[in-house]
Amino acid sequence: MDKKKDILSLDEFSVEQINEFLIQTESFAEILKRDIKKVPALRGKTIINLFFEPSTRTKVSFEIAAKRLSADLINFNTSSSSLRKGESEIDTIKTINSMENDLIIIRHSDSGYINYFAKNVPVPVVNAGDGKHEHPTQALLDLYTIYKNFTNLKDLKIAIIGDILNSRVARSDIKLFNKMGMDVKVVAPSMLMPEDFSSFKTKFANNIDEVISDADVLYMLRMQFERQERKFYPSIKEYNKFLSLDMARFNLMKKDAILMHPGPVNRGIEISGEVMDIETLNKDKIKINAQISNGVAVRMALLYYALS
Amino acid sequence: MEFENLKSKNKENLIIKKGFVINPQTQEKFEADILILDGKISKISKDITHNNADSVREINAEGLYVCPGFVDMHVHLREPGNEEEEDVESGVRSALRGGITSIACMPNTMPVLDSCYLIEYIKIKAREINYNIYPVAAITKNLQGEVLNEIGLLINSGAVAFSDDGRGVQNARLMYEAMRYGGQFKALFILHEEDGNFSDGGLVNEGYYSAMLGLEGISSLSEDLMVQRDIMLSKVSGARIHITHISSAKSVELIARAKAEGVNITCDTTCEHLFFNDSVLTGYDTNYKIKPPIRSEYDRLAIIEGLRNGTIDAIASDHAPHLLLEKNISFKEASFGSIGLETLFKASLTKLFYEEKLSLEKIISLISLNPAKILNIEGGEIKVGSIANIAIIDINNENIYESDNIISRSKNSSFIGQRLNGEIRYTIVNGKIGFSNN
Repeated sequence: MDKKKDILSLDEFSVEQINEFLIQTESFAEILKRDIKKVPALRGKTIINLFFEPSTRTKVSFEIAAKRLSADLINFNTSSSSLRKGESEIDTIKTINSMENDLIIIRHSDSGYINYFAKNVPVPVVNAGDGKHEHPTQALLDLYTIYKNFTNLKDLKIAIIGDILNSRVARSDIKLFNKMGMDVKVVAPSMLMPEDFSSFKTKFANNIDEVISDADVLYMLRMQFERQERKFYPSIKEYNKFLSLDMARFNLMKKDAILMHPGPVNRGIEISGEVMDIETLNKDKIKINAQISNGVAVRMALLYYALS
Repeated sequence: MEFENLKSKNKENLIIKKGFVINPQTQEKFEADILILDGKISKISKDITHNNADSVREINAEGLYVCPGFVDMHVHLREPGNEEEEDVESGVRSALRGGITSIACMPNTMPVLDSCYLIEYIKIKAREINYNIYPVAAITKNLQGEVLNEIGLLINSGAVAFSDDGRGVQNARLMYEAMRYGGQFKALFILHEEDGNFSDGGLVNEGYYSAMLGLEGISSLSEDLMVQRDIMLSKVSGARIHITHISSAKSVELIARAKAEGVNITCDTTCEHLFFNDSVLTGYDTNYKIKPPIRSEYDRLAIIEGLRNGTIDAIASDHAPHLLLEKNISFKEASFGSIGLETLFKASLTKLFYEEKLSLEKIISLISLNPAKILNIEGGEIKVGSIANIAIIDINNENIYESDNIISRSKNSSFIGQRLNGEIRYTIVNGKIGFSNN
């Protein structure tokens, strides 16, 4: 039997494979522009969307992607909170295994949980986000969004700004962007950065003004209040002063630079309401909605890969 | 592999033939026979002859080393309260499997060992099975860190030392008063050093791997600050303190300096901290989730150096049994701790003798004589007249440590899958063979 094609992180994929994904995503994106947005590629396949943590956009994005490929998708929402958590989670895995299915998409609030989960199920597993660890499909859709805007990825200057410590998007993005030869800089205050971030292999700044006029891609992270177990950042006022993107800073961005955010945006924290409201007029520059639509095509490509 | 019924009262006379005797007190190794009559060592010399009328059972120790039985000063027996994980008897069998003849058990049971009757309960249990168990009482009531326990009464009941293991006393003033009062009774404090403000919510060592894996970190400052605090408190109060399971390079340095200044301080580390660094966490294996966390290679090397130069006095197992369902779970939800009685000797031998080239005598001291001296209990020596607590070991054996080999009721060992050197052939407790394996 062939090894099952889990997508737990993008570490296992070579630069060539990533480039291949980007090209394939183009053809799936093309399907989404047709009148009849459906192909029979995964007809007869059953996919389970298993979310141990609340999610709207990622869950819906996977659901649309699966349906566009004619797979049957079942949403399985479960909260994982009980005193002896182990029992209920192991039983959930057994339950899922007993239902005939071909692939499981999973999100969980604990880093590394999905690695453990994947060892205990016989079908391919796609990581839809685990704790503060990885969010590989987000990273690939981010890369695809950048790829659609710049002909050459190499040496592209990208600044990732905000709560790096608690962000799985940052961890997956940094690794993928580094792999593709991009020039990554992270911007965060000390308490929202790991103490030792040498594993990230990036440059570092602690003020948005150091990168604003130089970056080709400005990637604003969501302030993860729900994931911050120890709250040390002083205030939103302080954040606005040193890390937020307001209109004045938006105007300092390079002419061809783009603005991204994994969503949902905390208006007035990472990005000001004013900037958010000009997105429709500045589609060339503000790519937040483009990321969402690109997400469907990228997830189609990944589901197709894992099941073929 | 055989365990003998420790409850039976019949005493057996033994003679250990042709073994290499290790005496940590003198740091000597020599070939000799040992005659054990009525539970005590009655003769140590070459070629002891005996007549069969004495009904002396002979143990052939040719090619084996005969050591003082090992002393593990940091064990969680889980009785009373969590007998599904371990109880006194299963813990003792696990200890016998590891060549250990004396253990100090920690008070974080349910209920907590903070009352005289509970200390006496453990002592009675130990006597019933003819094994050496030294209960450690809690420093504060119910380990809450708020009210000081009856130090004097607990010592009278048989508490060997005091510890709020599992958390540590967060309140510096309370710790200071405990040390001042404990001094009146010459109490020993075994200190778990952890500043909860640094460690709460943390899962692994704060560093390269915590950042990479997205796991909450525990800075070594959590330990170092408390070590420094308690050194200062000991200096002023004069209390005898023992820092348990030290994990960081900085703690080793602080303790070395305190010793040089004459502070009444000793310390131990665990097999995990001398054996592993935090790169083992990349597979999210929950058996590596322990407290204090497995730290960086830099810290591990400092631990090794501390063992070599005598800053670290002892190695303890911090045997912490947990049910499978507390470990076969996400890393975040899993319990902290690894069992270790059965690997105390093997892991020490593998890393310190075969890799780091410490002498066998030195290693045996770290797991027998030194902890016995710190606890002020009998043990750690092989000498005429003393009660026969002996481990007979084979250092040439080498095996992959497997879950199926584990005697403890719990199977959560960090060493599963490791190639380990050494094997215990006999464990003799209070003059009786408790375990044999030929």
